[in-house]
Amino acid sequence: MIKLFSLKQQKKEELASGTSSAGKRKATAAQLRLTKDLNELQLPKTCITEFPDPNDLLNFKLIITPDEGYYRGGKFTFSFKVGLGYPHEAPKVKCETMVYHPNIDLEGNVCLNILREDWKPVLTINSVIYGIQYLFLEPNPEDPLNKEAAEILSTNKRQFEQNVNRSMKGGYVGSVYFERCLK
Amino acid sequence: MLQGLDYCLKMEVDNVVSTVREPLNWSGRWNHIQKVLERSGPFAHPDFEPSPDILGFLLNNCKLLVIGAGGLGCELLKNLTLTGFRHIDVIDMDTIDLSNLNRQFLFRQNDIGKAKATVASDFINNRVKGAEVVPHFCKIQDYDASFYKQFHIVVCGLDSIVARRWINGMLISLLEYDEDGNLDQTSVIPMVDGGTEGFKGNARIILPGLSACMECTLDLYPPQVNFPMCTIAHTPRQPEHCVEYVKVFGWEKEKPFGDAPIDGDNPEHIKWICGSACERAEQFGIQGVTYRLTQGVIKRIIPAVASTNAVIAAACSTEVFKLASSCGAPMNNYMVFNDADGVYTYTFEAEKSETCVACSQKPKTIHFKPTSQLRELIEFLCQDSMLQMKSPGITTTVNGNSKTLFMKSIPSIERATRPNLSKSLADLGLSSGQELIVADVTTPNSLIFILKLSDQCSAET
Amino acid sequence: MANKQNKYDRQLRLWGDHGQWCLENSKICLVNVTATGTETLKNLILPGIGSFVIVDKSRVNGEDAGSNFFLDPNAIGESKAKVATNLLLELNPEVKGEYIEEDVANILETNPHFFLSFTVVIACNLYGETLQKLAALFWCNNIPFVTCKSFGFIGYLRLVIPEHCIIESHPDNSHEDLRLDCPFEELCAYADTIDLDAMDKKDHSHTPYVIILYKYLMEWKKAHSGAMPKTWKEKKEFKKLVMSGIRKNADGVPEDEENFDEAVKQVNSALVPSCVPEKVQKIFNDPKCLQLTEESTDFWMMVGGLRQFVSNSENGLLPLRGSLPDMFSDSDKYIKLQNIYQGKAKQDMEAVTGHISQVCTKSGCGNGKISEKDIKRFCRNAHFLRVVRTRSLQSEYESPSKSIMDSLTSDEISDAVWYVLLRAVERFQSTNGRLPGMNNAEWESDVNRLKNCLYDLLKSWDIPGAVEAISDDFLQEMCRCGSSEIHSVASYMGGVTSHEVVKLITAQYIPICNSYIYNGYKSTSVTIDI
Repeated sequence: MIKLFSLKQQKKEELASGTSSAGKRKATAAQLRLTKDLNELQLPKTCITEFPDPNDLLNFKLIITPDEGYYRGGKFTFSFKVGLGYPHEAPKVKCETMVYHPNIDLEGNVCLNILREDWKPVLTINSVIYGIQYLFLEPNPEDPLNKEAAEILSTNKRQFEQNVNRSMKGGYVGSVYFERCLK
Repeated sequence: MLQGLDYCLKMEVDNVVSTVREPLNWSGRWNHIQKVLERSGPFAHPDFEPSPDILGFLLNNCKLLVIGAGGLGCELLKNLTLTGFRHIDVIDMDTIDLSNLNRQFLFRQNDIGKAKATVASDFINNRVKGAEVVPHFCKIQDYDASFYKQFHIVVCGLDSIVARRWINGMLISLLEYDEDGNLDQTSVIPMVDGGTEGFKGNARIILPGLSACMECTLDLYPPQVNFPMCTIAHTPRQPEHCVEYVKVFGWEKEKPFGDAPIDGDNPEHIKWICGSACERAEQFGIQGVTYRLTQGVIKRIIPAVASTNAVIAAACSTEVFKLASSCGAPMNNYMVFNDADGVYTYTFEAEKSETCVACSQKPKTIHFKPTSQLRELIEFLCQDSMLQMKSPGITTTVNGNSKTLFMKSIPSIERATRPNLSKSLADLGLSSGQELIVADVTTPNSLIFILKLSDQCSAET
Repeated sequence: MANKQNKYDRQLRLWGDHGQWCLENSKICLVNVTATGTETLKNLILPGIGSFVIVDKSRVNGEDAGSNFFLDPNAIGESKAKVATNLLLELNPEVKGEYIEEDVANILETNPHFFLSFTVVIACNLYGETLQKLAALFWCNNIPFVTCKSFGFIGYLRLVIPEHCIIESHPDNSHEDLRLDCPFEELCAYADTIDLDAMDKKDHSHTPYVIILYKYLMEWKKAHSGAMPKTWKEKKEFKKLVMSGIRKNADGVPEDEENFDEAVKQVNSALVPSCVPEKVQKIFNDPKCLQLTEESTDFWMMVGGLRQFVSNSENGLLPLRGSLPDMFSDSDKYIKLQNIYQGKAKQDMEAVTGHISQVCTKSGCGNGKISEKDIKRFCRNAHFLRVVRTRSLQSEYESPSKSIMDSLTSDEISDAVWYVLLRAVERFQSTNGRLPGMNNAEWESDVNRLKNCLYDLLKSWDIPGAVEAISDDFLQEMCRCGSSEIHSVASYMGGVTSHEVVKLITAQYIPICNSYIYNGYKSTSVTIDI
């Protein structure tokens, strides 16, 4: 053990008034970690990130343009919000493109386990992006957010494919209108 | 060994009537703690030298910061002022709520709505003569290093992991190292941290740079429970799932109070959510949605009782008393407590992580001229034999705002920051003493560099 | 009322409205105003006990006012009991408080009945004959008695409770009561309607693990002449069998079926045989259960009924708990299953109710006075019933328990050593008429005096040699502290003590048995059955 301060030591006022570092905010652990995550980002070629403000690394977009599967040719934008609790808490992700997808609802909520119940601090931004990309390759009808889409995917794959195509071209699927989102 | 005896204390256990009433130090006031401060003891810290000066230090010089004026904070202020500490600052951004009164004993019914820090300070200063508790009704993030530097010890009674991690990072950033990379121990500000949940609690000591810090042991704090989105949406089984459904989907859709976001303290909001959740529960045959449960889910309420808060705050206070006086060796270094089944404690040494993102690194100082270009700095990082980085990404903070200097891996940022490469460090707004965060594949964590700018220097560490 | 619900919200989530009701109807007595004592009361007044009475004859001095938050330096010379009562009453307008400016020994002499109306009595810094007499009084009258003190960095707490019966012990991690090893009729009937093979993919992956395990256990039992998987190897094989049920896609690759993953994970705990826990069995064999009389309390009546239920039931098991943990499933199947468990629990509870009323009649006790709500709570907690009985203080002082002897003769000195030192301090007090280390001139020479007391104590325990095991360092620390009350140590003990009292009042959670030592030097503690 060490002796931390001697009794002679007065209030640390002289220290406080000395080398002033006022205004210089220190890096938070979340920032240190996020900088590392982003610097090491290795995206599949179907994904790109956009930083509306390159100085703000906490808020950015992910754009996915799948080159295989049902969603080939589409272009889908997700917003990422990384909080100060990162990586103790998962980033908040929403889909900004209206999409006909069993695991994404029409409000943009995304059902991906690592974003909620299975988040762990060892996971990275990279893991989340791969998770989202996987949803487009393998939409999962078992645990749906968009129940109608899931129903059709598990009962009539052809119909599902047609619905996806119709939605991406811009048009109605049932009573819901989808904006065009082809690349 | 017993110099303290010259300074003779008159014990006045029986003789009370003739006591002269001094405003601050009435006769016998500090008798209890003077015994352990002025007598030697085998279990004291090896450096302990019993002396009346120690009490003087506590009373007149030692400055403490208490973060949080809630369940733990109220107890801490009482314990610390009654063990001789007078100069205490307390920060809390919250106001008093009715549900605080079952444990936050410095508050009364008519204090509801007032600032916790202010009411707590006023109460203590009034009750404990000579106490000079200074309230700060704000967030800890509102102050910078110059504020935190002034304290000898920081004591936390927080309910937020984010806030704990923030102050942990702040205290680590205050560490100073000499040219050989040795820690200047006078720059260490110990952090004593307590936390409770129902009948469970923990108390710990963090000596920044020397012992395990918050980030070293982040695993000890489990992430909050989140239900799978699809369970909430389509296969609810528990009352909590129904409440979450209304929170995640129903509120946005129905906008019962216009654009207002959910306010867990607004009974009308909770009532509406509870009603909608009940409807959903009925639809699925789920029992158990009540107002109390709804509020618990929405506010993520953690149960709290007076007794556990008292225990944990007391354990923390004893450690502060020992740290400041050396009259006992500090605990090593983490205690967990649970008194649901009997009373259980377990004290162990949380281990410092060699790869901790926050405390494993000593910030390295690098010297450049203000006219040097950012490109030169990056070349230095890649070419220096100790670093040999491959593709460093660099961020920093200028005028309180974060700034990305360069990052190659992300095309959009690379495009936006490429022009920075040929700018001078001065033109980029960097000043001497600037902290640079550098991430690279060659190290497991981001590194912190302190940039020193002067006309004489060429690049060197 | 709504106001009270909000004020106590954070604790109601722990001990419920019925726990709160017990608190609000309790009457607590504190003997002697010390910081430990007032901190304990503070933590009882805040959550809302009914009322308290403080007994103390002494007057506030400078020393007390310096270390006790509920004594005022401006009131030096005034009654401690009065000053503390007034300041404590500010904490909660719902709580009533009184004080009696009289010495406890005196009340014991002149009006011992005074003490018999309390729910719990707490005494601080009480020594010698008065302590023994007071403890004996409560022991005879079955009133829980708590004695505690802070001594420098050491805290001491002792519960003296002839009998304390707990229905809701709130175990932290208990096995679920699923009965997969001995499924009841209704569970079988439902599970048998389900044909996993005939299900579509979605249904298959949304069937609760309880059903999956039931199905494969049936299959296993069929192949193993009715036996369950018991050994580690068998369980491993059984897990394999369960996994073989996972659907495969066209390429033969197993699908992702979370419910099956869950089933495999739950195999070990689900295969723990259902039984009456040992602690409950012991309660069944308690003389209090075997000989019910008209004097028997509700608790023992219910235990009597429960015992009869168990011995009359085919499988000799307790009533089904009726709770179903959350598990991966669609809503429909989960809720159906939940209703089956709850329905069976209700059936069992009704049977238990019948048995209770039978034993009540048999023992001459008023019939039907136990409410349905109480019986329901009792049945739901049948696996977790506890009866705690400590030794009397008298018997502790007549002969020390084996556990304390063992701790003195073991290689590693535990915090139990502080108990022995506190006993030596008590001896010191009775020989010298003061506590060791009280004044600066003598504190160092007190070390030897205290050592003599320690030696005498250990000799009376027939282990004089143990004095060698206790280093002089401990003695010196005791004299150094000289019975001072360091506020934070007192506050720690006030926290621990108050919660033990809450346990006694609410009959929820499990109190210590019987002594607790806190070591503020190291921030460690130990519970010892002395």
